[in-house]
Amino acid sequence: MFDRRKFLKIGAVATTAAVAGGVSLNAKAAKDLPIRGNKDFSPTTGKERKAIPSACWQCVTRCSNMGYVEDGRLVKIEPNINSIRTGGTLCSKGQGAVNHTYDPDRILHPMRRVGARGEGKWKRISWDEALTEVAARMKKNRDAGTPEKVVYHYGRAKASHSKTVGGFFKAFGTGSIGNHTSICEGGKWSAQELTWGGHFDNWDFDNTKFVLNFGSNFLETHTNHIPVAHRMLKAMADRGVEMVTFDVRLSNTAAKSREWIAPKVGTDAAIILAMTNVVMKEGLYKGAGEEMLKYTRVSEDVNADVATKIKAIKAHVAGYTPAWAEKLSGVPASKITALAREFATKTPAVLVTYRGVVAHYNGNEGERAAKLLCAVTGQIDKPGCRMKAVGAGWKFPKIKSNAKRKLNIFDGFPGQAAYPTHHVSHQVLKMIKDGSAGRPDMYITYCYTPAYANGDVQENIDILKDEKLIPFYVSVDPFYGDSTMYADLILPDTPFTERWTAEDMVSPSQVAEFYIRQPFTKPMGEARDFSDVVFDLAKRLGVDMGAAKSHEDYVRMACEATPGVKEAGGFEYMKKVGVWHDKNAKPQGPVYKTPIPESVYKAKGVVLDKASGVYWKPASEADAKKGYVGTKKAFKKYVAQKMPHGVFSGFAPDAVNKSGYLELWSPLLKAKGFNPLPTWMAIPEHQKMAKDDLHLTTFKYATHSHSRTMNCKYLAEVYHTNPAWINPATAKERGIFDGDNIKVTSPTGEFVTKAQLTEAIMPGVVAVSHHCGHWAYGRYASDRRAPGEGSDSRGDRDYKMKWWDDNGVHPNWAIPNSADPINGQQRWMDTVVKVTRV
Amino acid sequence: MENQSNLSRRAFLKKASATSAGAVVIAAAPMSVNAAKQEVRYAMVIDTRRCSGCQACSIACKTEFEVPIGAVRSWVEHHEAGAYPATERRMLPRLCNHCSKPPCIEVCPKNAEGATYKREEDGIVVVDESKCTGCAKCIEACPYDARFMNPFKGDPVKTAGNGSVDKCDFCLHRVSKGVEPSCVNTCPGKARIFGDLNDPTSAVAKLVAEFDTTVLLRGEKTKPSVMYIGADWLEAKKDKKAAQFSRLDSHRNERSAHRFA
Repeated sequence: MFDRRKFLKIGAVATTAAVAGGVSLNAKAAKDLPIRGNKDFSPTTGKERKAIPSACWQCVTRCSNMGYVEDGRLVKIEPNINSIRTGGTLCSKGQGAVNHTYDPDRILHPMRRVGARGEGKWKRISWDEALTEVAARMKKNRDAGTPEKVVYHYGRAKASHSKTVGGFFKAFGTGSIGNHTSICEGGKWSAQELTWGGHFDNWDFDNTKFVLNFGSNFLETHTNHIPVAHRMLKAMADRGVEMVTFDVRLSNTAAKSREWIAPKVGTDAAIILAMTNVVMKEGLYKGAGEEMLKYTRVSEDVNADVATKIKAIKAHVAGYTPAWAEKLSGVPASKITALAREFATKTPAVLVTYRGVVAHYNGNEGERAAKLLCAVTGQIDKPGCRMKAVGAGWKFPKIKSNAKRKLNIFDGFPGQAAYPTHHVSHQVLKMIKDGSAGRPDMYITYCYTPAYANGDVQENIDILKDEKLIPFYVSVDPFYGDSTMYADLILPDTPFTERWTAEDMVSPSQVAEFYIRQPFTKPMGEARDFSDVVFDLAKRLGVDMGAAKSHEDYVRMACEATPGVKEAGGFEYMKKVGVWHDKNAKPQGPVYKTPIPESVYKAKGVVLDKASGVYWKPASEADAKKGYVGTKKAFKKYVAQKMPHGVFSGFAPDAVNKSGYLELWSPLLKAKGFNPLPTWMAIPEHQKMAKDDLHLTTFKYATHSHSRTMNCKYLAEVYHTNPAWINPATAKERGIFDGDNIKVTSPTGEFVTKAQLTEAIMPGVVAVSHHCGHWAYGRYASDRRAPGEGSDSRGDRDYKMKWWDDNGVHPNWAIPNSADPINGQQRWMDTVVKVTRV
Repeated sequence: MENQSNLSRRAFLKKASATSAGAVVIAAAPMSVNAAKQEVRYAMVIDTRRCSGCQACSIACKTEFEVPIGAVRSWVEHHEAGAYPATERRMLPRLCNHCSKPPCIEVCPKNAEGATYKREEDGIVVVDESKCTGCAKCIEACPYDARFMNPFKGDPVKTAGNGSVDKCDFCLHRVSKGVEPSCVNTCPGKARIFGDLNDPTSAVAKLVAEFDTTVLLRGEKTKPSVMYIGADWLEAKKDKKAAQFSRLDSHRNERSAHRFA
């Protein structure tokens, strides 16, 4: 690792900064420290740094932060101590984002490809030239009546970015808009939409007494990482709240748990079903569970009473005994039984589920089983349990959509996924190759690296390189990268440190927090926020973007129009403080129990759909005849749910035509040939494993996101290489010693990495993190420099001191693009591999 | 299959509780050699129960001081031990201990001139980069490996271009203005608590009074001002069988990496 002598030698040639000497050394001792933060000073001059409240974007959690600027240079990012979401804390990724701004491999000018695709030969062009070409191509498609052949595919576009950029493409006329959610957590979200309506759940650690965690490493990384992590750490230390974590690997979250339990890969759903079996057999559903079942659907009959429902659940889970689950998972039946009892009685308890459950063939059913276990123990949408999440509801200016046509390339191949409500984004390139649903004339990616982020890397590259499949590829990105290198045109985006946004991520305190992102510094070089560029493109194309003239303008208008924010002082207030929440607001409690008055459900146009018990407002007689479940987008006309004990707001649908019950018996799944109740589905690949086959699973380390942080030098220094975790017993069988080179081979591909023998992983599994193994993501991630202007050091003094040569490997070369048959989620954890010593 | 972790047993480590048996108890008050002179005695309590090893503190420090690649003022060690499935991982945030008897200062040839010294007013151990010659004797003397050469600091003539020694200074530039150190400010678990140990009403003094705390290398008589809650495992008798499986991950250089394993 770090060699002091080498360091000394480098030091000898390095220029030395002026010696500051005594300024701060002579400072008086302060007797107390009244200031928590939001203030910083230069360690060399003692001068106060300019503080600018803003928001992070290193991961989708999007925490509020505070940037500090010295002489026009961003020097530091810290938490914004006024944020109720983060509790005034920030993770390593957020701190390290300061490296994005000054990444020497930033793209600072639009660049046009001049060599072959991927050859790396570029010509600097002007913005006018670049946008003239993009607009001309878009116009050509619009004139030809094929606007849908302009395909916009984003990795992360949220809140006002989503409204302006997505809004522009829709206003132009294309509905061909893709996301990345299926490689993230789309499966979890679809399963929640099928059951309780609403994709997000919040874990109320502030009020919980026990946490049962299946496959989430939320103390290191999560979709709402810091807001939940800081609460859980507090709950553990202050209130002695205990957690039990199921994971094939000892994550830091597992390490902080009372117990770490490693089930066989992909068997979490079986364990959860067996726990439900224990609850039903031992009568642990009595009381809170029975009350919850009033609002839960577990059979076709929407008028069933609780006793009938209990009978139906008992019959359904009768075969899912702890002994049965032990055979599948390897977890002792006695342990499953004990934990089921603990979860049912140490209430309120939180059941956490994430990718360890959902990134499998049976992920949808794992998540539905979790909802069933929560329902029978009465632990749904209640303080201290998993609750329906609360985010900020901004009043955004409207941008009118003209999108009437789209390419059907976002939801996977026909029949591949039954309800992919968050799409099957990892199949988009494959579908373009297939061509049967059409191909784009222009493919535009934004904050997205399709070659690296998805499975089957080689195929992704082959498709991106093929000009017959994708005639024109535009990459909008602040950095040169593993996908950008295959583009025809690179539009230099700003990193988030130079952007505006009105932000809205979920608040774990159940009180919405409104917050904004504002630039710390002016865009470097000619970089431009794509959310501004679309306003420019709109002008060129005569596309109506509504009242706003720029993204900043759009954010300002949202601040001035949103109740609460407006009264607090609107845009000027938000620029000064960064965050706002209603101090008088009570945390949002259960949303499903509100009685609905007759005046609402018997209003004109509202009818009762007898099959589902849903009061709805069908658009026509024909729709009313077709019924609620069978009418396209009927969920948008939902009014209330009839239950035997009254008419209630219910678990209102938001993406599919589910009833207002907590719908665990799903007519939608029945219609597609699946068991309507949460059911064990064996993973096909795992049924035919040879004796020497291993499971390949992936994970994340605390200092990195999936694909967009390895360019941050401070984060890369902490974690830059990713040897494969392998249990010593498994290694021994293969003659592998610690540090040996090993080859990991699947039917999709192979990669070579080092073996890390560790007792922190169960036998039979090899685990390789994401993050590493970039091939063109700048010098810190890949030892490759960006072409053109990006090739100078831009004042970066550290690269010559980069002390590691091993930039790690990317497991996606060997992981196929496959989909959960119900929701389309990428099955990251199902890959079967052979591992050999090289 | 499952691992009944020690962490749960360590959930409550209050002095009054029976679970403290066997833990190493150190007295907090009489540690400073010049306590009489010292009005303020800055200290950091690290509550490892609240640390998830996330490295936010490491990066906060890195950016606060633009610490060169290859060096760190503050870092986190991950100590793994025990055979599967009884495997455990413990987190140990590290920084300069701001010792009451700092061996680093003793060996400095320029200590009389103030190249490195312990501040009388608050006990912070500092390096004056304008006086440091970069001889690196203090780096060798520090048993905690808290010091390093910073090629971008120091007088180019005095250090012959090698740069000055550098280290954690408890964010003196912030705390002298009443602002918490950067690592404390960012910590998601609020595992780092900073303040004046001489003030009985301060959070650190209260924690030291309430909990059993551990210091690193008690035997060296350095008397650190950094104290750990829930890190008694550091001084517990090593289980030979468990030690066979121990593994330590840290981006810090290897010399320090094995010292506390």
